[in-house]
Amino acid sequence: MKKAGKVHKPTTTRKRLFLFILFGWLLLILGDRVGDLELYQGSFVATYALAITSIVLLTGYSGQLSLGQSALMAVGAYAGALSIFNAGWHPVVGLIMSALVAGVFGLVLGLVAARLSGPYLAGTTLALAISLPTLANQFPILGAEEGISFDVGPSPARFGEDFSQYKWFFWISALAALIMVFFIVNLLTSRYGRTFKAVRDNPVAAQLSGINVGRLKVNAFAISSGVAGLSGGLLVMLISGVSPSAFPLSLSFSLLGAAVVTGLYSLKGVILGGLVLVAIPEIADSLVSRIGGSEGFTTVLPGFIVSALLILAVVFTPNGPGHLLKKHH
Amino acid sequence: MTQFITAVLTSLSSGAIYALMAIAIVLVWRSTRVINFAQAGQAVLTTYIGYTVIQRTGSFWVALVVAVVSGAVIGAVIDRFFMRPIFKRVKSGPIVMIAPVVATLGLLGIIQAVIGFVWGITNQSIEAPVSTGGYKVMGTVIAFSNYNLLVLVFVAVAMLLLTLLFQKTNIGLALRASAYSPEIAKLSGIKVDSVRTLGWAIAGASGGLAGMLYIPGYFLYPNAMDLLLVLGFIAAVIGGLESLFGAVAGAMILGFAIIFSTTYISPKLFFPTAFIVLILVLLVKPAGLFAPKKSRGA
Repeated sequence: MKKAGKVHKPTTTRKRLFLFILFGWLLLILGDRVGDLELYQGSFVATYALAITSIVLLTGYSGQLSLGQSALMAVGAYAGALSIFNAGWHPVVGLIMSALVAGVFGLVLGLVAARLSGPYLAGTTLALAISLPTLANQFPILGAEEGISFDVGPSPARFGEDFSQYKWFFWISALAALIMVFFIVNLLTSRYGRTFKAVRDNPVAAQLSGINVGRLKVNAFAISSGVAGLSGGLLVMLISGVSPSAFPLSLSFSLLGAAVVTGLYSLKGVILGGLVLVAIPEIADSLVSRIGGSEGFTTVLPGFIVSALLILAVVFTPNGPGHLLKKHH
Repeated sequence: MTQFITAVLTSLSSGAIYALMAIAIVLVWRSTRVINFAQAGQAVLTTYIGYTVIQRTGSFWVALVVAVVSGAVIGAVIDRFFMRPIFKRVKSGPIVMIAPVVATLGLLGIIQAVIGFVWGITNQSIEAPVSTGGYKVMGTVIAFSNYNLLVLVFVAVAMLLLTLLFQKTNIGLALRASAYSPEIAKLSGIKVDSVRTLGWAIAGASGGLAGMLYIPGYFLYPNAMDLLLVLGFIAAVIGGLESLFGAVAGAMILGFAIIFSTTYISPKLFFPTAFIVLILVLLVKPAGLFAPKKSRGA
């Protein structure tokens, strides 16, 4: 912890790049030491962390509350799946398309959203989250209920025979998440990123200082949508197919919950958020196997734990756990 | 022709149910500036209480009264012992906007989990108190029954009672005053906090009624009212979130749009229609159809 009064030196981009590469390298080493199950779970952690990043960016930094993040993830997922499955493009291009198409979609949506505030935006995005996945049933090219496959193919031969599919998933998702988060962190610490915080904290003052609040909100929506789209693409890569049922409304709510639990105003907690989302069903399972219980009990326990966490987070650390630590020192 | 008549009547009865939920949302929004997602949980909980009463007494009507009363009590308890302490703790910063949403979402999860613990997660059903067989019009049976008529009548009576309460009584005046300007209401000697709790109670009763009228057509399970909550919320937003009339109008617009598009175009258009109607309304009027002129700063 830094001492009070000491001037805080901002982390430079180069230093941050070094930290990200170091972290990625540590992940690679770790990936070699653990089994397939852990790798698979790790891929989900990276994917969820990315989705939570999109919420932190939109809600924490630009003050727009969206309940439709799962819909934007679905847009990205379908865009990626179509690029790979129908157009036959390289999986990496497919994932880039996930981010791009969702970003453009978010740009259009953001033009509407910038006019709306608070509950109106929440309502619109909520309606989007329930309606968009069912739209997929309307168009045969999107594969209706069964969906379409999202196959990134086996790991390249040069990595050797015992390089498992799960390790390949982990590499892709961790790398994609790291690159994207690096980009977002740099954006937010830049001069442009500071205007986000200005608008969030006081839109009127920001406007008076010459910031175009409307355009900024639209941009934030578009970038956040792109990030959500990439995480949607990664998510369906992990379950190797995209269908309307992969993006229920509850996904939006879980992600928002995880974002609140680990801190809406800082990107530092996003990995923790991903871990929470992956770990809770596991914890609930082990709890149930220890104390025993009916099938109904097993089904509702994860929901109970998540909800209790949400409420505790709002009551005790409304600005994130990091904020609480800062206050105590 | 019969298809058209069926569509109109079904739209009315669907719209009526959405209206009850929309009113519950609007009442809470007006009194505390909270979108109460827990309403789905509260309504389904009261319906489970009603279900238990039916199991014990065999009477739908007793169950209906118990459900509405317990809805009011649960609403008041949630505001007094859950929302008010949270508002006391979370006062500043952008989290103020998000905290109530997250808190009510968390509460929704807790209520649904508790229902799962107590009643289990399997589907239950509630027998409708009157015939659900469709009427015969020009020789063909249409999808509108005594039960749908009953729903319409109940909702109409509830609207009437609420309108009388709000327009003709002192309590109604206090409710409107605290919603319009809490500070001035407080200065005029209105106990704003208690009035807010009363708003939550009326909303809870409205949700309880919605549950008991909605569930007999479907099944009862912990998440049974989620869809209705979303539709009620959309209807409330269409209506502008501030007026009860707006909520009913929004619900009817939504009911007609959904039923007509699913009848005449494709049954898969249920949700997309809701979204399209909402976005069209908000593009023209960003604060809903019947929002007051004065901006209220959500």
